[in-house]
Amino acid sequence: MKIFQALAKIDRKIIFAILAVVIIVPLIKPLGIISRASNRAEAVFNAVDAIPPGKSLMISIDFDPGSQAELYPMLNAILRHAFAKDVKVILLGLWLTGMGLGEEALSITSQEYNKVYGEDYVFLGWRSGVLPVILGMGEDIKRTFPTDYYGQSLNDLPMMNDIRNYRDIPFFITLSAGDPGMNTWIAYAQSRYGLKMGAGTTAVSAADAYPFLQTGQLTGLLGGMKGASEYEFLVREKGYSQALTPASQAMDSQSLAHLLILILIVLGNIGFFFIRKTTAFKGEK
Amino acid sequence: MTLASSIWIWVGVFLTFCIFSFLYKDNPFYKFAEHLFVGVSVGYSISISYHNVLHPDLIVPLFKHGELLNIIPLIFGLCYFARFIPKVSWLVRLPMGLVLGFGAGAAIPAVLQANIIRQVQGAVLTPEIFQGWNFFVWALISLIGVICTVIYFYFSKERKKSTKFAAEIGIIFLMIGFGASFGYTVMARISLLIGRFQFLLRDWLGIIQ
Amino acid sequence: MQRQIPLMLCLVFGVFMIIQFFIPHPISTTAYEIVLRWVRIIAIFALVLGVGSLTMHHSNKIKRKVKGWQFSIITLIAAVITALVGLLGMNVVDGRLIFFAGIGRTSLLQTFFQNFYIPVNSTMFAMLAFYMASAAYRAFRARTKEATLLLIAAFFVMLGMVPIGSAISPRLPEFAEWILSVPNLAAKRGIMFGIALGAIATSLKIILGIERGWLGGGK
Repeated sequence: MKIFQALAKIDRKIIFAILAVVIIVPLIKPLGIISRASNRAEAVFNAVDAIPPGKSLMISIDFDPGSQAELYPMLNAILRHAFAKDVKVILLGLWLTGMGLGEEALSITSQEYNKVYGEDYVFLGWRSGVLPVILGMGEDIKRTFPTDYYGQSLNDLPMMNDIRNYRDIPFFITLSAGDPGMNTWIAYAQSRYGLKMGAGTTAVSAADAYPFLQTGQLTGLLGGMKGASEYEFLVREKGYSQALTPASQAMDSQSLAHLLILILIVLGNIGFFFIRKTTAFKGEK
Repeated sequence: MTLASSIWIWVGVFLTFCIFSFLYKDNPFYKFAEHLFVGVSVGYSISISYHNVLHPDLIVPLFKHGELLNIIPLIFGLCYFARFIPKVSWLVRLPMGLVLGFGAGAAIPAVLQANIIRQVQGAVLTPEIFQGWNFFVWALISLIGVICTVIYFYFSKERKKSTKFAAEIGIIFLMIGFGASFGYTVMARISLLIGRFQFLLRDWLGIIQ
Repeated sequence: MQRQIPLMLCLVFGVFMIIQFFIPHPISTTAYEIVLRWVRIIAIFALVLGVGSLTMHHSNKIKRKVKGWQFSIITLIAAVITALVGLLGMNVVDGRLIFFAGIGRTSLLQTFFQNFYIPVNSTMFAMLAFYMASAAYRAFRARTKEATLLLIAAFFVMLGMVPIGSAISPRLPEFAEWILSVPNLAAKRGIMFGIALGAIATSLKIILGIERGWLGGGK
């Protein structure tokens, strides 16, 4: 009884400290738990892999630094995959505050593969309004984005010569942290223009993607940091990149932290039931 | 262990600890970082909006190429500021009416197609169900779950025996759905914390790669 | 007039968008592209308005010396400096400050974003993990049958979706995947129907002028 009462009084700062330790220790001393790719992640990977060299993959940054840990590793892994396969990349975003992340990711990965701006990749940047942007690109990308992120006319970028609208995009990936994001692209680009698409989402919205996966509106799904680690695993396994894999590195910490949360829930419930039982018993007397 | 030499990394570390200090209690360091963030966010939004939209979409076409048709959205846009002038504050309704009408008109067919028609098809007609008995059973359970969930959300009529039972089944599916979302939410929050620790251990302290 | 014109605009643009969806004739497509462009431009003014309101809010706090007004000064100074850095296209190339060089990778705007914006924004969300761990211990109780179901589903998803789950048993990820793709899918699809029907009904009410909340008060 005393144990449960003592447990119920654990200061939250002690819980904070335990969680920090559980996360930090495996980052320094990895446990080496093997992580494999799910079918959902493989579907996204295969769709990117199937894009013929010279054709374009479009990626939308629909997140900000608040979800960086989950979606930014996905962005890097997908960019590395595309560049290694000589697939051209069109990057844009519906979240204004995600633009800096796109710029950073491109500057790192394009250098790794010696890719040339305007020939191998283009950064369209951000435009206001969400719906007119998605719908506008279905008609004409150059009219929706007369200039790229840097203010250069798209007519001056050789890569954009053969690209008019979604019909010229074999595959599209939204990296989505909410709204606007996955749901918006499905409703306005996938349904209306038949854009073939996959999604990388924060874990929070991963469960919401399942109805779209079952109907085929989404080709595949990368769910949260685990999804990012799966993509990193596939890119590394196929020899497309030897770069650092932050999401994979995090998986031991992720596993242990989940175990800790589960233990906390179980302990909390045991204490709750025990105290409730004894209180009820005393009440009867 | 090699400590970061870049001053900017140290700035990032300082701000990270300012925010983490809230775990102890609200304090001036947290407030400082929070207000700095809001300010930088506003300035950043202004800059990107100018470079990515105002300049290429309005200033260049209107003032350099003389595309006079762009005066119309400019006037509508300026009407937003009428809310600061009481006499003509009603003008703010003009751009709102246009944008709302546009959004609503675009949403009706899109939502109907993506979230209703395709989802009804997915609920009843999937080629997978012929792949094996288990696929058929899961599809059937799923269909029952969808119907019961929809019944649970139907409040216009008093629930009688059969609908009450269906709604109760609906709750079971909903709770499992919420549980799945909750499990994934835990995953998300932990991931974000790992991301910050990676920054501290890798970029600042140089303990990990 | 002050209500009729906005309502008329709403009706015209709403109906136009619906018609355009079903009849993509070249004439309507041209008009459609013009409308898309207009809405994009108008939308940016809404953002400018938001920025203006925020600036006024902080200015008023400073004027009235409201508690914590000193922090509003930080907000305003940070906003002005960041905006100037971005609008003037300040870049640092080989240690030299140059102006009107855009917002690319060498720009100060990008440096500000990486070192002021990212650390604060990402840590704010990261901090929630601590509160969630504490709440997991104190609040997540299997008080009722429904709550127990929720906890069981969460338990399997939490364990099954991380590598340790498959290390414990390969059945765990399979079961988690089943939860997600059968009962979870059914629940999410049911909710989706509800939201979609609600969105369509509300959109229709807006277009037809039945829903007029957006007009606000006044004449």
